[in-house]
Amino acid sequence: MTEELQITVEELLAVYIAREMRDFETCACGAQSFIPAAGMLLGRELYAPNMEIIIRGTRDFNPIATPRDFHFLAQRGKMDLFFIGAIEIDKHANFNLHVIGDRDAPQVLMPGQYGTGLLYYAVPRIIMFRTAHTKRIFVEKVRYISGAGTSPEGVFRRTREVRILTPLAWLKLNQESRIVELESVHAGHSAEDVQENTGFDLNIGGPVPVTPAPSEKELHSLRAIVKSRMLETGTYADLARTRLGVA
Amino acid sequence: MGAPFVPTLAYAGSDVIKRRPEDFTIAANPFDPAERIVIAKAINPDVGIFHGLKADRAGNVLLRKGGEELLLIQASRKVIVTVEEIVDKVDPEAAGARFVPSLYVTAVVHAPFGSYPAAAPGYYSADDKQLREYLAASISDKTFAVYLDKYVFEPGGHDGYLEHVGLGRVGSVAP
Repeated sequence: MTEELQITVEELLAVYIAREMRDFETCACGAQSFIPAAGMLLGRELYAPNMEIIIRGTRDFNPIATPRDFHFLAQRGKMDLFFIGAIEIDKHANFNLHVIGDRDAPQVLMPGQYGTGLLYYAVPRIIMFRTAHTKRIFVEKVRYISGAGTSPEGVFRRTREVRILTPLAWLKLNQESRIVELESVHAGHSAEDVQENTGFDLNIGGPVPVTPAPSEKELHSLRAIVKSRMLETGTYADLARTRLGVA
Repeated sequence: MGAPFVPTLAYAGSDVIKRRPEDFTIAANPFDPAERIVIAKAINPDVGIFHGLKADRAGNVLLRKGGEELLLIQASRKVIVTVEEIVDKVDPEAAGARFVPSLYVTAVVHAPFGSYPAAAPGYYSADDKQLREYLAASISDKTFAVYLDKYVFEPGGHDGYLEHVGLGRVGSVAP
C-alpha cells in the first residue's frame, strides 16, 4: 500500500499488469487469481481491446471446459501469457508452488504445481506476482523446484520472457545470464529498498528505471468499469467489492 | 491413449522429476535428435474409483461436468463408479453432466452423499466446516488418526458416517 497514492496493493498490481496486455494475445490465469483477473480486464479496457482473456473457475471468462483442455491449449502454443503466484522464487527464476517447510516433513503441501509446472514451460510470456516483497519469498535457492527458470540443455521450451511483479518493483530473468535482475522500481520506492527485501543479489549497477505510478485514468477505469464488470459477472465479486475503489 | 509413455513440455529441471525418476525421463526427440523432451510414464491404475451423479441398469453413468474423471477412467483397468442415484436409463444428452458409456464401467454402486463433504452438483454443495476439520486434522498422523477414528472407524460404514455428521449441515442445491 502506497499512502501518497491512496491505493490498495491489489489495485497497484492490477494496473501494472494491465499495461502488459497486448492486442491479439491470449492471456490466462488460474483459479484463485483475483489480481491477474482485474489486471487483464483493465488491460483489455485500456490497452488491448482485441486480447483474449481466460480466467479459470469463472462463468463468463472461461471458455475452456476441462483442465486438460486448458493445459493442452498452452502446450500447443496457443496461450501467450500466464500468471503464476509462487510461494518462493529464487535468483534463477525457479519457483516453489508446492511446499512450505521441508518436502519430506512439510508444514503445508499445495497442489498447484500440476498445471503450473507445465504452463511455465509452454507459455512464452510468464508473469509471476506477489502482494509482498520479502526475503522469505525471494530466496537464494527455493526449497523445492516446481518449475525451473532454465531447462536442461536442448530441452524444447516455449518460454521467452519471465518477469516478476511485486509492490516494489518489476524483476526480470536475464535470458543470457539466467539470473533474475531488477528491471524497474515502482514510483515511490528505491532500488536499495528492493535489494534490502530480496534474499539474493540483484546486481544493481547503474540507475534503475522507474515504473510510472498508476494514472488517474487507470485507477478510475479499474475502480469504475472493471469493478462493476466483476460484480455483474460474479468474477471475484467479494474481492472486487472490498479491494477495488475503497482506499 | 494406451501408449506406455507420453512426451510433455512440463517439469524439465524441476524437483517433480528429480523425486520421481521411475516416472519421468528426458529423451532425444526421435524426429529431431538435436532436441530433447520430457517423457512421462503412463499411469494405469488396476482399479479406478469415482463418484458420479447417476447410473442406470446397464452401467451407463452421468458424471459432473468439467472434471477430469474421464481421463482417469480411460487409464484404469477396472472402474468402479459410486453414484447418488440409480435410474432405469440415464440420458446421454443430460444438461450439466458428462455421459460415460457402460463400456468403460466395471461396476456401479449406489452411494448417496458419496462425495460428502465435497459437493455433488445438483445434489448438495460442499460442507466447508467438515472440510476445514479434515484439513486441520491432516496436519499430522496423530491428529489424522483421531479424525479417522471419529469419522471412519467408529461410525462403522457409510450410513453410520452420514448419521454421525448429521445431514442437516449438508447444504442443498436445486437440481
